[in-house]
Amino acid sequence: MTVLAKPNTKTVLLGNEAIARGALEAGVGVFAAYPGTPSSEVPITMAQVAKKCGVYFEYSTNEKVALETAVGAAWSGVRAMTAMKHFGLNVAADSMGPIAYTGVKAGLVVMVSDDPQGWSSAQSEQDTRYYAKMFRMPMIEPSNPQECLEYTKAAFALSEKYGVPVFLRTTTKVSHSIGTVKVGKIKKPVTRGEFKKDFDRYLLLRPNLQKRHRVADERLAKIEKNSKKFVKSIRGKGRVGIIVSGVSYDYVREALRGLGLSPPILKIGMVHPLPTQAIKAFIKNKRSVLVLEELEPIIEDFVNRVAKGANHRLVVHGKDYLPRYGEYTAELIIPALGKALKKKVPSFAAHKKNADNAIKGLPPRKPVFCPGCPHRSTFYAVEKVFGKDVVFAGDVGCYVLGLFEPFRMQDFMVSMGASLGIAHGMTRVSDREVIAFVGDSTFFHAAMPGLANLAFNDDKSPLVIVMDNSITAMTGHQPNPSTGVTGMGDKVQKLPIEDIAFAMGATVEVANSFSQRDLLDKLGKLRKAKGLRVLVSRGECRLITKRKLRKQGLEFNTFQIDQEKCKKCGICTDHFACPAIVEIRKKKGDEPKYWINPDNCWGCSVCMQICPYDAIRPGVKK
Amino acid sequence: MKKKVSRQRFSTGRAKRVTGKGLKFSAFFIGVGGEGVLTSATMVAEAAHLEGHFVRGIQLHGLAQRGGSIPTIVRFGSEKDVVSPAITEGDADLVIAFEPLEAARATHYASKEKTAFIIDDYPYMPVYANLLDLPYPPMAEIVKRVKPFAKDLMVFNAHHLAEEEFGLAVLGNTMLLGAAIGAGVLPLKPASFRSVIKAMPRRADDNRKAFDEGLKLGKR
Ligand SMILES: Cc1ncc(C[n+]2csc(CCOP(=O)(O)OP(=O)(O)O)c2C)c(N)n1
Ligand code: SF4
Repeated sequence: MTVLAKPNTKTVLLGNEAIARGALEAGVGVFAAYPGTPSSEVPITMAQVAKKCGVYFEYSTNEKVALETAVGAAWSGVRAMTAMKHFGLNVAADSMGPIAYTGVKAGLVVMVSDDPQGWSSAQSEQDTRYYAKMFRMPMIEPSNPQECLEYTKAAFALSEKYGVPVFLRTTTKVSHSIGTVKVGKIKKPVTRGEFKKDFDRYLLLRPNLQKRHRVADERLAKIEKNSKKFVKSIRGKGRVGIIVSGVSYDYVREALRGLGLSPPILKIGMVHPLPTQAIKAFIKNKRSVLVLEELEPIIEDFVNRVAKGANHRLVVHGKDYLPRYGEYTAELIIPALGKALKKKVPSFAAHKKNADNAIKGLPPRKPVFCPGCPHRSTFYAVEKVFGKDVVFAGDVGCYVLGLFEPFRMQDFMVSMGASLGIAHGMTRVSDREVIAFVGDSTFFHAAMPGLANLAFNDDKSPLVIVMDNSITAMTGHQPNPSTGVTGMGDKVQKLPIEDIAFAMGATVEVANSFSQRDLLDKLGKLRKAKGLRVLVSRGECRLITKRKLRKQGLEFNTFQIDQEKCKKCGICTDHFACPAIVEIRKKKGDEPKYWINPDNCWGCSVCMQICPYDAIRPGVKK
Repeated sequence: MKKKVSRQRFSTGRAKRVTGKGLKFSAFFIGVGGEGVLTSATMVAEAAHLEGHFVRGIQLHGLAQRGGSIPTIVRFGSEKDVVSPAITEGDADLVIAFEPLEAARATHYASKEKTAFIIDDYPYMPVYANLLDLPYPPMAEIVKRVKPFAKDLMVFNAHHLAEEEFGLAVLGNTMLLGAAIGAGVLPLKPASFRSVIKAMPRRADDNRKAFDEGLKLGKR
């Protein structure tokens, strides 16, 4: 495993793997996280090596609990870390704020990754840097895998030196870029510690509250003065400078080399507190600067403010040349460089137009449910019973793919667990039927309060369908309380969702996701029932089944279509939309032939159950 | 009946063989999620690393298992030159499309001036071809669309061959890597790949055979 590469060697790592390696080199003792793209490979990597390296690792039920777990360890003197996606911090924020005031004893690093452009199918492009400002916490931001490793180590050192939790922020293209990395030595972690009572520090009540707030502010002032390590000033030609942070640093360096230009560059690796002195020194003799930062103009606004005193004639460019939304690319940065440096640069517009044309009219390849996915089967049955006029309150997880054709059965998705609350609001003001979908991981993460609220406040509650594939699938198949194993691979008791729902007073049914008859039967019953109703549709994530079979050297029993019985109704392709079933037409207008590609069939048998002409039957593997 | 080895080449001149100092090589891989694209790209990255190159690239994780299209980038060369993880519009030296339809989606990164384009003729039907009534284009149509973006365009049937020979179509990926080297459009040594393959946890033997087969295929 390259993440365990020998000390002082070079290896190729993903940004997120480099962060995990950095944490190991810093001697992290406790690592707790809830998965979320684009941060997931940090815990995934940690999970793989935790036992070997003597680190305690866990997948917590959500980001807030994960942070709190890390805090408990750090307060007890054990170096701890958590990692989350940008929305994860929204969940953890409630605890993060106070902990910025109390501070920590051993190092505590909070890795958080933003996702401009929404590669993770995220629901907003929030700029997490604002949290650092709001909570009075330092935040550092690496630009590439080498820096991912170094900054993680430095974050632990910084955290311990000032007794402050530290944000390590990345974006998708830093977390998911690979690079040659020189690694150091992995440190044996300290994993035992003790909490020492200290009322003045840990009990944040007035007047102590203001005192701790002041402590947090003073710490920041000190950190700012000692932030040299995270700032790089590269000399260059001319009076137009580039101020840059994040992945754009690598984009702009390569672009400038290609263009044969060498303006002075100020690379900022600490995005909070921003290095006032370094910025002052950099802008002093400049006519203008171009600030390159994705999302919000945080650095740009700061430079403008500093310039008022240091160089009031300075022209600051940034969001006037580049967008505030989406991620930056060389294709966006190069024209901005051209404008700022007043140089002719190549344009990509013509090439882009031609390439766009080359794709025109071709079928798209959007993500779809895997062949044999239990969610597809559940959606199919729900449509049979309820039609499409009901409101489908959506949530996040693989089941959100139900939003695409032909299902179109997720009318909105807001945040984890939000389906229940929003559905509740709707049933309060309308008689329309509402169905709230929620996955098993999402159930434990954020839906239980929503369910309790339904039990508490809603007498004509929406129908809740728990899509229980017993794993956190969408983010890469991490275990959760319904799985039966922990993040370290230890067996534990499964937490039965039906029992929890029952305890809340719900009428509960459990159906086998792979049986249409069972689903139709239970859905029919619940439709007639009154009060809080919960269907647990349980079927193992097919990809997990596939992996289990492969381990045993087995393959799925596939299905095939009897061409004589097939009436070419197209239900299996147009309504069920399994990627293994293909409609073949020699040319447009021809009579189609339906065929199950045995390579892609994962043997769930549901197509056989839905075929009205009994034309699908078990086949032999080629 | 044994499948015939098929290999078509539509070139406007061979893509330049780049080697030696100051090397900056950008490869773009595209295929269908869950079909081994990431593994192939990682093999290239590791082989380049073994040869002492500085490596960069992008591997978008997440959502990869559900049949979407996944683009992956590997760049290697001297540390001074290979700084960015991304490929700028039209700047790829090599594109390997493991699936024909995906080849068309790689054109943004490719250009007539420099790009060697490899396509494997092994369609994976997207469900949207049915649902949106957009027919899956024949290979000739793909070639027509891609040609203006390729200096050198090669079409193989590696997945079919691999399916026949090893009973496992994905090995076609490894075969294509071999073909790229055999054809002289991926400046890495076969020996480096053999070392990388040797360390593979599963089917190392078959992968090696597939790779060697690919080498021959590329040289033809
Ligand atoms: C606050 C927050 N944390 C993490 C995520 C990332 N995320 C998206 S889907 C998902 C998994 C949901 O798993 P589950 O509900 O079991 O559904 P499945 O994917 O297994 O169908 C996660 C963790 C998120 N969107 N928001
Ligand atoms: S990963 Fe699992 S839950 Fe997600 S689409 Fe595939 S089979 Fe369904």
